[in-house]
Amino acid sequence: MAVLNRMDWYDLARSTNWTPTYVTEDELFPPQLSGAFGLPQNAWEKYDEPYKQTYPEYVKVQRDKDAGAYSVKAALERSRIFENADPGWKSVMKAHYGAIARGEYAAASAEARMMRFSKAPGMRNMSTLGCLDEIRHGQMQLYFPHEHVSKDRQMDWAFKAYDTNEWAMIAARHFFDDIMMTRDAISVSIMLTFSFETGFTNMQFLGLAADAAEAGDHTFANLISSIQTDESRHAQIGGPALKILIENGQKAEAQKRVDIAVWGAWKLFSVLTGPIMDYYTPLEHRKQSFKEFMEEWIVAQFERALTDMGLELPWYWDIFLKDIAETHHGMHLGSYYWRPTVWWNPAAGVTPAERDWLEEKYPGWNDTWGQCWDVIIDNVVDGNMAKAYPETLPYVCNMCQLPILGTPGKNWNVKDYPLEYKGRLYHFGSEVDRWVFEQEPERYAGHLSIVDRFLAGMIQPMNLEGALAYMNIAPGEMGDDAHNYAWAEVYRALRETRKAG
Amino acid sequence: MALFPLTSNFEGDFVLQLVAVDTENTMDEVAAAAAVHSVGRRVRARPGHILRIRRQGADEFLPRTMKVAESGLKPTETVEVIWQMPHG
Repeated sequence: MAVLNRMDWYDLARSTNWTPTYVTEDELFPPQLSGAFGLPQNAWEKYDEPYKQTYPEYVKVQRDKDAGAYSVKAALERSRIFENADPGWKSVMKAHYGAIARGEYAAASAEARMMRFSKAPGMRNMSTLGCLDEIRHGQMQLYFPHEHVSKDRQMDWAFKAYDTNEWAMIAARHFFDDIMMTRDAISVSIMLTFSFETGFTNMQFLGLAADAAEAGDHTFANLISSIQTDESRHAQIGGPALKILIENGQKAEAQKRVDIAVWGAWKLFSVLTGPIMDYYTPLEHRKQSFKEFMEEWIVAQFERALTDMGLELPWYWDIFLKDIAETHHGMHLGSYYWRPTVWWNPAAGVTPAERDWLEEKYPGWNDTWGQCWDVIIDNVVDGNMAKAYPETLPYVCNMCQLPILGTPGKNWNVKDYPLEYKGRLYHFGSEVDRWVFEQEPERYAGHLSIVDRFLAGMIQPMNLEGALAYMNIAPGEMGDDAHNYAWAEVYRALRETRKAG
Repeated sequence: MALFPLTSNFEGDFVLQLVAVDTENTMDEVAAAAAVHSVGRRVRARPGHILRIRRQGADEFLPRTMKVAESGLKPTETVEVIWQMPHG
């Protein structure tokens, strides 16, 4: 029997809307879950997904992809790549798995919301596949690190991180809760798929895949490339939804969601991906600087995606373009200085050769962040380790939950962006973080940052020991210098040479 | 006498930090408390300088002997801690 071509039946088969007669449309599609943009079902039936795939096609392709990734893992299991990897590279893996794996699993629930509650049949079909993607990503990114748990307790954070009050996890949860766990189906499509996945997962997955291949970690490179092929498909869910909103006079609301999600994604990547690319990845394996990668993958691509869609660049684009050369240096310095509070071992990445690279990629680095590092380096070389660790908390932003920071040294520009709301003083790391809060204060006002929790007496005793216990960081999991300060030897030798000279 | 949290924005450093002071502390004592978490950690000491406190964005420093309780500062408010060459 002849089989119809897919495109001869796809549109008909996936157009599953009907006119409800026993319940109202609002009961079938509650506005809080479906998206209260005031558009009836038939407006959403025009949703035209650019990537049309049927379930049998999906299963076949995914089966092949899984077979590829799992067979590479199996083949390389005895290769001792992990044991022989640069400690900086191990930290890349630990940070990635902890921050991402369980978030992928949570994203399955956000995809499921679009699958059930979107009024657009095409979106429901795409997000059915997207939901399966996210379950796959959660499972793979828990299974792959598991083989290393017996060798290194920090690898356990691939599973554990999301259940803790570790500060970076509070930041990650706050962001993902905001854009995907507590939004209606249409907003999820805009904020998670269009804003976050189109731009930023490219960044994490393509950039890291390139670095992983360079570092010889083919298992990790294959895994994340395999994931990225799913991302590039289901990231397209949001585009057609934006088109419908714009056509129906909802551009301002759509734009606001894009602006909020892009900023939050940027802040999260500034702490997660920035340090990885510019400091943890061994110098000889770096393909591009974080800034160069951002300019190519986020700035250029995303600008085009927005304008193609008929949207504007976010109002803060100039601030963003300036920050991509600055913020992540502070995030790195912060996570390094407060290293006992992270589940990986940050690589300092400040040998003279690495500093030359940083100065070349970021002119002025030595006069700014370099000045802070000079003091840290002196303390390490002098064995004055008490001064190389913190004795208080950095103040964190009430929106992104990350330290409030800026450029130090000669270009010192650190600034708080405070706001008093209903008698409580909030602190923000930028004008944009504060703007996000002001768009819907009641949505965010009740949340306590880690500093708020400390001041409220929720962290006891009120010292590092109490903070580590609150963050669920067990002995053997606490971060320290990835290379056990071996890099300081170069500076010791330089000092000796200077003395001799 | 009561514990009072302030946020320190220390000249030359890269991050805001929580600093616990007392309502009876003077601005010089606030500056010294803030310095503990920046100077010799990520900011070099500047010999011959003193440290002054001002509200974020203000031109004028708060008087060195002014107490926290008299300053009108709110809990967790950000103060800038600035290096100054003493006059004369």
